[in-house]
Amino acid sequence: MIFKIFKKELKETIRDRKTMLIMVAIPLLVFPILINVVVGVSGSFNESASEKILKIGIIGDSNDLIVKQLKSIPASFGPKELIAYKGDSTRLFKDQNDEVIDIALWYDSGLEGILAAQGTANVLWAIDNTNIGYSERIKGYMNIIETEERLKRYDELGIDEQKLQPYRITYQNTASDRQMLGELAGGILPYIFIAFGFLGCMYPAIDLFSGEKERGTIETLLSTPVQRWKILIGKMLVVVLSGLTASFSALFGLFVSIEFLDLIPDPTLMAVVSKILTFPIIIKLFALLLPLTVFFAGIMIPISVYTKSFKEAQSIITPLNIVVVLPAMLGLFPGIELNYLTACIPILNIVLTTKSLIAGNLDYILLAISFLIMLSVAAAAVFVSIRQFGKETNILN
Amino acid sequence: MITIKNLSKEFKLSKEQRKEQATDRKFTRAVNDLNFSCKPGEVYSLLGPNGAGKTTTLRMLATILKPTSGSIEVCGIDAVKHPREARMKIGFLTGSTGLYARLTANEIIDYFGSLYSVSSNTLKERKAYLYDLLDMNGFANKRIGQLSTGMKQKVSICRTMIHDPEILILDEPTSGLDVITAASIIQLIRDYKAQNKTVIFSSHIMGEVDLLSDRLAIIHNGTLKHQSTMEEFRKEMEGQSLTGAFIKIVQS
Repeated sequence: MIFKIFKKELKETIRDRKTMLIMVAIPLLVFPILINVVVGVSGSFNESASEKILKIGIIGDSNDLIVKQLKSIPASFGPKELIAYKGDSTRLFKDQNDEVIDIALWYDSGLEGILAAQGTANVLWAIDNTNIGYSERIKGYMNIIETEERLKRYDELGIDEQKLQPYRITYQNTASDRQMLGELAGGILPYIFIAFGFLGCMYPAIDLFSGEKERGTIETLLSTPVQRWKILIGKMLVVVLSGLTASFSALFGLFVSIEFLDLIPDPTLMAVVSKILTFPIIIKLFALLLPLTVFFAGIMIPISVYTKSFKEAQSIITPLNIVVVLPAMLGLFPGIELNYLTACIPILNIVLTTKSLIAGNLDYILLAISFLIMLSVAAAAVFVSIRQFGKETNILN
Repeated sequence: MITIKNLSKEFKLSKEQRKEQATDRKFTRAVNDLNFSCKPGEVYSLLGPNGAGKTTTLRMLATILKPTSGSIEVCGIDAVKHPREARMKIGFLTGSTGLYARLTANEIIDYFGSLYSVSSNTLKERKAYLYDLLDMNGFANKRIGQLSTGMKQKVSICRTMIHDPEILILDEPTSGLDVITAASIIQLIRDYKAQNKTVIFSSHIMGEVDLLSDRLAIIHNGTLKHQSTMEEFRKEMEGQSLTGAFIKIVQS
């Protein structure tokens, strides 16, 4: 009987364009569109930033040593135009404020003499850091100038540069590329699943309970000899399937974006991503998502059963999205790891377990705890749904 | 055969409802101590103004609502204790035409046939019989959303009768229908009665009650105000119209 109810509800859900749009079309298209837009915009931005001719206002004259050194830096480090202010610091900084120049360079007036006397000269770069890339470019220029000057001084003092270096330090990253990706980006994947899983469950949960009450079809169904809990489970299975379909569509969209739209130019990173998006990992991901989606269905159904109309149910369930997504967002922060405490926090445990799964350092005891916790809350949610659905005051308007 | 004894139903009043009704009572009694029975081959009409308790009574008979007290016996089955067994014997047509707009008429009939565990051969035969009877062949494969009110009501009636129930409970079956569709439904009720089945229906249309009923009951504020055979009722009318007699009883 459960399967008969499930089959009919699924057929009806599939024929609902709005639900199909939320369940399949949007999750499927969101990543190809989003990634294309982000990559396209950031690519063109980086390109225009590196090609931009920086207008650098200098406090002194174009014959000053630092200005000559700046001029000698090849254009491959970024094109620049130097404008001399000949000691007029007021105009220099005003022009920068008025965006006549991009960057202001101030230095001690006797800079050449200070350097010749092996002293320390003051150099000030005034940079508006909201302009991305300016600071990095200037630091690159200064590194070249400073290194050149330092080496000259070693020569003058007859010092072997090697002797000033007591340690040759190497900071080796022991984390694999996969672990790095798991830690930095691993939280995003379950977050996406949670957001889309919730959205995928939402419309069928409202339509199959509140909607059916509103349309007056539930009374007809309740007059049949099918037990109420079987009706509920049959409908709930459709809600869960819709949530999983939305998550899967999002994953498929992401996979298509990565594999076919050539969005990851780094072959090492691409190899790592390909290693993550394997069939066994995807199966494990969905095994984790199953109790989570049942839990979503289990919290939405009692609300939908209790409310009198589609609109009322929607107005309560929509803000619930934020409550559900909050613990998922916590899992995105670096440093929050799967341990005995976090494994006991529903939703967060799924995000952290997925992160570990992607990074390849999953602790199976913690996985079992997370899974059992999610199973328990899902079972509790199903129990609450069955009780609510059994109340005659809830199911008839 | 359906027999109800001392049937009552109370609903809990919410704070808002108590405020609206200006009462301190926590419960309201929708049906109060009803007693009646309906034999096979009999059409029993339940009359009453809006809010009289007709729909609540019919919902209890259909085992959708559980009575607060009293008993319901359906073909010898205690419907309060064994609602699922009783439902197999009942066909219930709700007041609102509750059908799934995205399914076709045929899909709905198949679905409800399967919920009543009707075998595929019987389902085929019943469909052929009911589709002819209700003139449904022309729109059986159309989605409900595309059908007129009359067509939808025919599908609802077909759905109600697909498992060939012993007892037919109809809540305002001709409400909002044109005269031709209403006439076909009236004919169907007569045919059903002729097959020695039990029919209980509620209606506001007195002409329909006069045409079909063997016995009738008038309820008001959940209480039985009048119960008799149609013949006795006609005698008691003393030259009044059916509607006039009904109003007189309700207001007494």
